[in-house]
Amino acid sequence: MIDIAEVSLWYDRAHKALDRVSETIRRGQTVVICGPSGSGKSSLLRCINGLEAFQEGTIRVDGVSVRDPRTDIHRLRAEIGMVFQHFELYPHMTVMQNITLAPMRVRKKARAEAEQKAMALLERVGIPEKAARYPEELSGGQKQRVAIARALAMEPKIMLFDEPTSALDPEMIKEVLDVMTGLAQEGMTMVVVTHEMGFARTVADRIVFMSEGRVVETGTGRDFFERPQHERTRQFLDRILL
Amino acid sequence: MEIFHYTFDWSVLWRSPYGGMLVKGIVTTLHLSLLAWVVALTLGMVVGVARVQPLRWVRFAGGAYVQVFRNTPFLVQLFFWYFAAPLLLPKQDQQWLYDNVPDYAYWAGVLALGAYTASRVAEQVRAGLLSIPPDQYRAAYASGMTGFQVYRYVIAPFALRIMLPPLTTEFLTCFKNSALAMTIGVMEVTHTAYYIDSFTWHGLETTSAASAVYLCIALCIIGLMALTEKRVRIVGMMGRGR
Ligand SMILES: Nc1ncnc2c1ncn2[C@@H]1O[C@H](COP(=O)(O)OP(=O)(O)O)[C@@H](O)[C@H]1O
Ligand SMILES: [Mg+2]
Repeated sequence: MIDIAEVSLWYDRAHKALDRVSETIRRGQTVVICGPSGSGKSSLLRCINGLEAFQEGTIRVDGVSVRDPRTDIHRLRAEIGMVFQHFELYPHMTVMQNITLAPMRVRKKARAEAEQKAMALLERVGIPEKAARYPEELSGGQKQRVAIARALAMEPKIMLFDEPTSALDPEMIKEVLDVMTGLAQEGMTMVVVTHEMGFARTVADRIVFMSEGRVVETGTGRDFFERPQHERTRQFLDRILL
Repeated sequence: MEIFHYTFDWSVLWRSPYGGMLVKGIVTTLHLSLLAWVVALTLGMVVGVARVQPLRWVRFAGGAYVQVFRNTPFLVQLFFWYFAAPLLLPKQDQQWLYDNVPDYAYWAGVLALGAYTASRVAEQVRAGLLSIPPDQYRAAYASGMTGFQVYRYVIAPFALRIMLPPLTTEFLTCFKNSALAMTIGVMEVTHTAYYIDSFTWHGLETTSAASAVYLCIALCIIGLMALTEKRVRIVGMMGRGR
């Protein structure tokens, strides 16, 4: 489903943010990416939907090459949902408008149809009563659930999450993780950057550990936590699993 | 009434032919600054958006424009558009200009004021765009929208709200700077006040009247912008504690 081969990314000539990263994510899998801050996790995620123009290597999504100039990148992105650490809801729009914008403008859906779908998604993430509210009237956990609903409204084949719970108060983390766990169980293909090791252990098919732009180690949940192969991984786990 | 041996005669403000001249001057000031503002806003948006683009030469072009127009005196720019710019045209176009545009001074004024104010507007636009977190742009692009759609539906509606107060200031400056158009012979209200003085020796009354006109119009603009700000205020955001 997602084929990352030998991808390198420089932000400027001196600074290599990704160094020959390769990874294959199959349909229906959930892969968790972890690693210290600045290790290139967000950059890698952005390469997958072409938000970052990596200079070397290839990424294929469903067989379509992301950097190929013949690829309709907008169409490709429409198939890939993305959720951010700070929610990134559009502040001047209601929850409903946030969710229906892309379906109406990109997919050219009729308003009624888009709104119906949006309501169903709001039910699913547990806050249908907030449809007419503005983002700033919601709690962090609610905002993130709206952001997930907004991404799902495009009926994506893949969901990318960039530290979706890092900006949340502890009591709101669970409500967001529950939605994500549900998605994984339904067979959504997901790439999740997170330090929620409980989620990684129970939900992820595979865990990828990155450091300084490289993939240091990858393993199944159990292997990764119980038999980390590299010293770096061990140090990282020690710090995070206090 | 007489002070310092000066006899006030306020009737120059409405007496024929001076009253008519003043009204015409006020009207000229109004449409001169409004037209210049339209130019400034349009050009300023384009240049401001250019200044935050990833493509280096686009950014450079925007930066060059701003530096040139912001760092030379407006008066010199006014002279440039009036005296020098026509000389840069081919001979037959120059002739056409002199034959067909008798009020070239007016259009030079619009152009000069518009181009100069655009450089200031561009800086406000740039600051507004930079105050939006990069992930907000990414969230919009990730949903599959085109660059135009991203700006049209997500970035501009929010950025314009942030920019409203500084743009109000720029508009007021544009309006007041229109007085300098008198130096190239445009009969706007300041020039008219001065002109009437040369016949009547009652410049004190006419310049007072001109000042009052500027003040009234400026206050109207401020009131209008305050109303607009209130109307477009985002629920839960901005203007908190007012
Ligand atoms: N837009 C950008 N421009 C320049 N450098 C960047 C940009 N985004 C990230 N970087 C740099 O690339 C490296 C990897 O960053 P990032 O992918 O955000 O790491 P992580 O998400 O793992 O914290 C960091 O050193 C960061 O400073
Ligand atoms: Mg990151």
